[in-house]
Amino acid sequence: MASAIILRSVTKTYTRAGESLRVLDELDLQMQGGTFYALMGPSGSGKTTLLNLVGGLDTADAGEVIVGDTDLGTLDGSQLAAWRARNVGFVFQGFNLLPVLTARENVELPLLLAPLSKAERRAQAERALELVGLSDRMDHKPRELSGGQEQRVAIARAIASDPEVLLADEPTGDLDRTTAGTVLDLLQRLNRELKKTILMVTHDPQAATYADQVIHLDKGKLGRIDDNRAAAKRS
Amino acid sequence: MAFVPFRYNLRSLFVRATATALTICAIGATVAVLAGMLSLQQGFATLFQERGREDVAVFLRKGATSEGESGLTREQCDILAKEVPEVERGPDGQPLASAEVFLAVRLRKFDGGETNVAIRGVQPMTFAIHGDDVRIVDGAPFQPGSDELLVGEGLLDRIANCHVGDTLRINTVTFRIVGTFAGKGGYRSEIWGDLERLSQALQRPVRSRVIAKVRAGTDLAAVQARYDADLRVQPRVETERTYLASQTGELSGRFQLLGGFLAIIMGIGAIFTGTNSMLGTIGARTHEIGILKAIGYRPWAIFASFVGEAVLLGLLGGAFGCLLVLPFQGAETGTMNQTFSEVTFAFRTTLPVLAQAITFAAVLGLVGGLFPAWRAARMTPTQALRRG
Amino acid sequence: MPWQLLWRNVLGHPVRSLLTVGAVAVAVFLVCMLQAVTSGLSRTLDAAAANRLLVQSAVSLFVDLPLAYQQKLASIPGIDAICKWQWFGGRYEQDKGGFFPQFGIDPETFLVSYPEMTVVDGDYAAFQKERTACMVGSDTATKYGWKVGQTVPITGTIFQRTDGRPWEFTVRAIYTSTSAAVDKISLYFHYDYLRESVEQGGATGPEGVGVYMLRVTPGTDPLTVQQAADALFENGPQRVQTTTEAEFNRQFISMLGDVPTLLRLIGGAVLFAIFFAVLNTMLMAGRERTRDLGIMKALGFTDRTAGLLLLAESLALCAIGAALGLLLGLLAEAPFAMMTAAFLPGFGFDRDTALLGAMVALGVGMIAGILPGLRAARLTTVDALREVG
Repeated sequence: MASAIILRSVTKTYTRAGESLRVLDELDLQMQGGTFYALMGPSGSGKTTLLNLVGGLDTADAGEVIVGDTDLGTLDGSQLAAWRARNVGFVFQGFNLLPVLTARENVELPLLLAPLSKAERRAQAERALELVGLSDRMDHKPRELSGGQEQRVAIARAIASDPEVLLADEPTGDLDRTTAGTVLDLLQRLNRELKKTILMVTHDPQAATYADQVIHLDKGKLGRIDDNRAAAKRS
Repeated sequence: MAFVPFRYNLRSLFVRATATALTICAIGATVAVLAGMLSLQQGFATLFQERGREDVAVFLRKGATSEGESGLTREQCDILAKEVPEVERGPDGQPLASAEVFLAVRLRKFDGGETNVAIRGVQPMTFAIHGDDVRIVDGAPFQPGSDELLVGEGLLDRIANCHVGDTLRINTVTFRIVGTFAGKGGYRSEIWGDLERLSQALQRPVRSRVIAKVRAGTDLAAVQARYDADLRVQPRVETERTYLASQTGELSGRFQLLGGFLAIIMGIGAIFTGTNSMLGTIGARTHEIGILKAIGYRPWAIFASFVGEAVLLGLLGGAFGCLLVLPFQGAETGTMNQTFSEVTFAFRTTLPVLAQAITFAAVLGLVGGLFPAWRAARMTPTQALRRG
Repeated sequence: MPWQLLWRNVLGHPVRSLLTVGAVAVAVFLVCMLQAVTSGLSRTLDAAAANRLLVQSAVSLFVDLPLAYQQKLASIPGIDAICKWQWFGGRYEQDKGGFFPQFGIDPETFLVSYPEMTVVDGDYAAFQKERTACMVGSDTATKYGWKVGQTVPITGTIFQRTDGRPWEFTVRAIYTSTSAAVDKISLYFHYDYLRESVEQGGATGPEGVGVYMLRVTPGTDPLTVQQAADALFENGPQRVQTTTEAEFNRQFISMLGDVPTLLRLIGGAVLFAIFFAVLNTMLMAGRERTRDLGIMKALGFTDRTAGLLLLAESLALCAIGAALGLLLGLLAEAPFAMMTAAFLPGFGFDRDTALLGAMVALGVGMIAGILPGLRAARLTTVDALREVG
């Protein structure tokens, strides 16, 4: 069974120019493994911060963040890095591929952290690219790809090491409607066929419809949670 | 709204203070080395060009390139002094001419090693001929016929045992230092004594040269030609100024070679640095360039703006380099000229030297900025905005 | 460690990488050339033979010792051979700017005393037999295209022929040297030829000998010979100074005065300049790479890896630059050595010079890479990614 994500009384404060802002305020949240979540809320509600905490990119000031069996608060910097490499895949808004590497090399990047041989790395990367439908573009550099293609390569990179959790921060923000649809379809497939837990931050209600559940945050606290599947069954 | 306001460039330099500072340091070091070499060269040139009188003639043996190679017998010296009509006479009818013996002698340096120092045996008339160019600044002149020496002030800090009251052993004879003199040009690094006494001590009966007072503008080439076929003596005759100028040739040439070599090499390095720096600057400001173009600034304005910034960086680097070099101003150093005698001269960072250094720096900046500025100008607004 | 990424980053910014490599190459080249001068000088000293002593005037380089001294010196125990050396100081009219030393020597005792010299063309015996013959160094012979059997004219300055014509010597042998202490540019002729010419009125010039070379018998302490020689002539007519060959050479080197210091100062300035240049480049690269570093950290690469990546890039660029600079130096070595042989003896690259160049470059690469590397390591992923916008 894929990992559950549990946040208990999580608080995160940012200080900027002398002022401190409480971005997450004693947040309690439980997410089931294998579910596709959308995370929505007005700007400054702490969506991205929540994502960063779950991904081990940042640490909470108070409370616990538990992903699967691991309490992230007990890990130090390099342990978090190692944990991230094995357990999490990231998809960002700006695609964030390394411009100097080809598509395949970008996908191989996280695999360098795993004890794989060169041939195994290559095979796994190619499989991931096949999954996202970009086998024919493997040797192209990012600047030779369209926006949608870049984002799909990013997704391939995210799943290359076969993590249980995928974290996506506004993955369709820079894409047009049609291309966005392709990417969201892909995410849905990854969730339904490979049982990946997906947490996607978005401000686009249309994008949120692809998720199983939509979590609303407001001023650092949990708002309501909509269940799309329930709604789908009803209709 | 043709030119990009330079305020923008200045502000950018400030904002990226570290990068700006590092570039200025790199260019500054280059310029400092160059300015240093130029200063050395200037100091050396000044030393020899400083004085060399037009009204003093120097007689050497024909074929000799310097006093060190020249040899005139006592009789030959007498002929030149008494028979050459161009030689001026004093109020008492005596010719204003003086025979001298010159030798580079081994002496101990203050820091231990040995070096060769020019020793000149002179006759009393020498002082009259040089006039104000040679002045006793400490002690007293030596007594003719005595074992006494005068030391040029340039040697005081470098040679051991050469202050008033000290003794120096020349071959088998001990001489006493009785005074210090200031002299123009190379004389300030010499030791002077009585011609006869020094000739004997050195076991050197042959003289090196004759100097004589002549009227400025005298045709000395004619004098030389007159003696060309003379069986008794065939001198080489020229003014003191010409003679001194000819002595600096080799060392000055070497300085120029070294200086030129360094200028080219370090200049190339500095151009690489400058270009890299400007490329980095432009890379960081791609987005801003896009905005500027979107607003409507033309490519040549962008080009001019960055070239200007590069030149400014060069100038600042040049100023920094000059600052680095200034503490060396006046520092004395010594080296050998071709007669192997110690010559001391000082770093002379004159205004022309500084001007040359700063110009060089500006040119460096200019050349370094051309390629990056051209790149910046060529970008289309969308390219620039997208990359940012 | 993503090595591939390292090379891609270097190659991905070709202009910047090339310029940095170029700047480092220039610096290494210059440092090596400067070092070659100073190391050349000390090599000349190191290579000096311990069994050769030189007797010169204690007064001046330019004073000759009486011919009569030879017999007296021969009476000192512990001497194998005596060879006279007389500086000729002539000019080769066809190359007014060029310069090579000429010496009148005793051929019988000369070559045997200098085993570092080997005759590569012609015949030493022929040189020895013929009064007006000469032996020339291979570098000079090559420079002017002289061949064995050719007569070369040297205009005398100190020793001038009474008929006004230049002296003529016939090349009978060409030598080369295997040691830094013996040059390859000099011209040697018979001292006796010079002396006879002066005595018979064919030429004018000082009588006497510039330097006597004494070859010490193996097993004898050179110091005793030195002291004996100096004591012999303590009361004149010319006092002497007997020194080892190393000491003798050192006096010429010390005449360069502050030049070595000057060269070191310049070398220091060059390092200064290049260091700042490379540091600047790496800082800029690091800044540009902020976003990339954020991604890598998000993917799970450690801070240390991020830092090391930048450090490695700095080192890589400097290593390539060093290699290029050393190559340039090696190419320039021979022509430069020939140009400066007269006043900078022994100029040449050796292993130490190359090592210095490499260490300088890597040192710069190291230090210039640490600052950006640290910055990269300390960058938090969140900040790095936020810079994306």
